[in-house]
Amino acid sequence: MKEFAMIMISAALVNNVILARFLGLCSFMGVTTRIDTAAGMGFATTFVITVSSMADWAVQTYLLDAYGLGFLRTVTFILVIASAVQFTEMTIKKVSPELFQMLGIYLPLITTNCAVLGVALLLVEGHMSFINATLFAFASSLGYSLVMVIFAGLRERLALVQVPRLFAGPPIAFIVAGMLAMAFMGFSGIAAS
Amino acid sequence: MNATREIASMSQDYSTPMVEGIARVVRVEPGWAWLEPEQTTSCGSCASSASCGSHSAAGIGSVASRLQSRRFRLDNPAGPGELREGERVVVGVQNSALLKAAVLAYGFPLAAALCGGGIAQSAYESDPLSMLGVAAGLAFGLLVARFGAHRLAVRGEATPRFLRRARPDETCK
Repeated sequence: MKEFAMIMISAALVNNVILARFLGLCSFMGVTTRIDTAAGMGFATTFVITVSSMADWAVQTYLLDAYGLGFLRTVTFILVIASAVQFTEMTIKKVSPELFQMLGIYLPLITTNCAVLGVALLLVEGHMSFINATLFAFASSLGYSLVMVIFAGLRERLALVQVPRLFAGPPIAFIVAGMLAMAFMGFSGIAAS
Repeated sequence: MNATREIASMSQDYSTPMVEGIARVVRVEPGWAWLEPEQTTSCGSCASSASCGSHSAAGIGSVASRLQSRRFRLDNPAGPGELREGERVVVGVQNSALLKAAVLAYGFPLAAALCGGGIAQSAYESDPLSMLGVAAGLAFGLLVARFGAHRLAVRGEATPRFLRRARPDETCK
């Protein structure tokens, strides 16, 4: 149980996907103008990262490692992720057209999010068991969602305050993102006893 | 009538906090208009969407085909307020409805999949059986999502409402 807890804390907070590994920065800046949209995006990305990481782990273990095809890892993972995203969309459309319609308007497509590929590559390099890899992917995406919601909240507050013209808009958002990253560096002091 | 309709829509907008999105009218039928959402990527850059991916070619998996699959129907009353093909409009749903939809579509299935995987792992300590547990949990979660979405649709929360016509410089951000 302690091992699971350490994986969760390490992936979500200490090695946060956005603020420590600098992955998924595009959506971090693009979809964080409102808390609701950021939270919705967080749910969608959490689902896609976890599901595609499980599929990537299976492909790596039972296909690439088994047949010595490790050099095809990146290409294969991209294919698996694209298939997982497409499969997710098709399943949601089949299960509930109403949800698909609504999410299609307000939540953007996730294919171009590099965090999905980054997490899959990290968990394979960690040589984890299936359940540990799944927990790692889930925790990483939880960390991603957490930062998205926090940053969206900060940007909603920023929209209400007066900032010097020079810093208005993206510049102040970048400065706040940097401060948030520094705040998250505090988690690197957590050590297992 | 057009102005009246827009004022009525705006009064809905202020009564409940709404998430707005921009869509383009692609087809008009008697009583209905078909709209295509404009937002395309996770970076929220609808304006540059034409350059990232084959926007014009509607092959499987292309941006165009995915947007085409996301087309939705909107009430389009006859008269001067009628929507026309090519028009950009702002549509909205309640904030809480968007979150509920995200939880239903992604949260429940994922939680169920993780529970299924966890139970299988603790019972058999085998990776293949854990994967089976995840698949079973995912299927169960999707079933729950189906019922939840049906309830949401019955209450009318999942249907986007017309808010106003989009300004020419208005973007999806």
